[in-house]
Amino acid sequence: MGGGGAAADSVAMAPGDDVVRLRPASVVWRVGLVAVVSTLFLAGALVGDDHWWPFGPWRMFSTSTPPSGAVVSMSIEVRSPDDARWRPTPITLESVGLNRAEVEGRIPQITADPVRLGTLARSHARLRPDDRPWTAVRLVRNEVVIVDRRPTGEVRHVVLATWTAP
Amino acid sequence: MTADGAAGAAASVGRRVRGFLLPPLPVARVAVLRRIVYAFVLLDVLWLHRTGGYHAYADPVWYEPLVAGRVLGLPAASVPLVLVVKWSCVVAAAVALTGRFPRLAGWTVALTWAWFQYIAFSYGKVDHDRADFAVALALLPTLAVAGAHDRRRSETAGFVLRAVQLTAIATYFLSAWAKLRFGGLEWVDSATMARAVVRRGTPFGRMFLDWPWTLHAFQYVLMGAELLSPVIFLLGERWRRRAVYLWYVFHASVYATITIAFWPHLVMMLAFLPLEEYRDRLRAGWDRRRDGQRRPSAGGADGDGAAHACVPPGSR
Repeated sequence: MGGGGAAADSVAMAPGDDVVRLRPASVVWRVGLVAVVSTLFLAGALVGDDHWWPFGPWRMFSTSTPPSGAVVSMSIEVRSPDDARWRPTPITLESVGLNRAEVEGRIPQITADPVRLGTLARSHARLRPDDRPWTAVRLVRNEVVIVDRRPTGEVRHVVLATWTAP
Repeated sequence: MTADGAAGAAASVGRRVRGFLLPPLPVARVAVLRRIVYAFVLLDVLWLHRTGGYHAYADPVWYEPLVAGRVLGLPAASVPLVLVVKWSCVVAAAVALTGRFPRLAGWTVALTWAWFQYIAFSYGKVDHDRADFAVALALLPTLAVAGAHDRRRSETAGFVLRAVQLTAIATYFLSAWAKLRFGGLEWVDSATMARAVVRRGTPFGRMFLDWPWTLHAFQYVLMGAELLSPVIFLLGERWRRRAVYLWYVFHASVYATITIAFWPHLVMMLAFLPLEEYRDRLRAGWDRRRDGQRRPSAGGADGDGAAHACVPPGSR
């Protein structure tokens, strides 16, 4: 393979022609590759899901949200040994090794088994050993109310699950 | 149709397919793209997209194997695994950037970069801006000899560029399809953009919440642009470049509004542009400026460059 003219799958240029052309077999495998990869991408778009990566559907921002209702996001609040108050803290890779969307996608698993929140405390201790350790973590659902796509200013907070260190 | 006629028609279709999928394009263009791609890999793995590295610290209970991981039996992330994959990718990209061992280094980059992405995406969130980049990494090594000043055109180079172009445009077109599949026709009248701005909008983006009709109208524009994106292959050279510039403007506005940038995809859109011409222009401009700086210091102090360089100081 190669485009330099001397490579195995290219043929020599004709005099006066500056185009390096491919041999038939090299053309065939390339066209076949396009057919196979296109089929996989199309199948992913038609019936696949994210688990098909890299052939999954390009579904970022593809869901429909009603113009009036609530925009939901999740956050966590934590407690430390010397502070009984719940402090909000962002769900970030740097803090817990996961990003917010990854936690948001597992709400049923977390509410069914809040011990999962304890793994965030352990990850935080490994990633931020100098920070105060977390002795309790709770998952909070935040709802920003919108009417005709415009926030009304009303924000609701609902605690979905709580983990406390044994 | 006679047998000769059918054979002629088949040959004609074959020539058209070959002309579209393997257009003879400058080898130097791929050489420039290759350098940008491998430089981007370094930037991406070390700075832009370090998700995989952080997943090494997440509990394996969060690991959700993708199909590729189940087929290949890939394990959950661990610190040693991530370090090996990440630094293998960095070393291979650095070697590939030099142009040495283009196939070995190139395919090592393709394998390790894809694995690093797999580690990032197997914890519940998949980014949708990276499939075209994976295609580019897989195909770039097929052009083993790519001199930066090779003025010839080759079908191998053309295939690499065309494949990247096709996947990059598929990113747009199939995004529109996904909106119709998951959001339905009502997606254009939904509050998807308003929701995105509420969740992660910048101060600039939040301004649009005061004029929500702009976000609503933007959804129509986006759907239209994505559905029409394949038209780029029918455009002439000048309008094709303009279409690419417009996409860059679109991505810049998205970044300014909700800080989402599809970085690898932005690199892939370069496959539509005459990169070797841009490089030559940049270099010529750089040379002129350098010459302009040198000559005054050699011949005088006025800094007016070549026009005065041969004129004796006393006659100026």
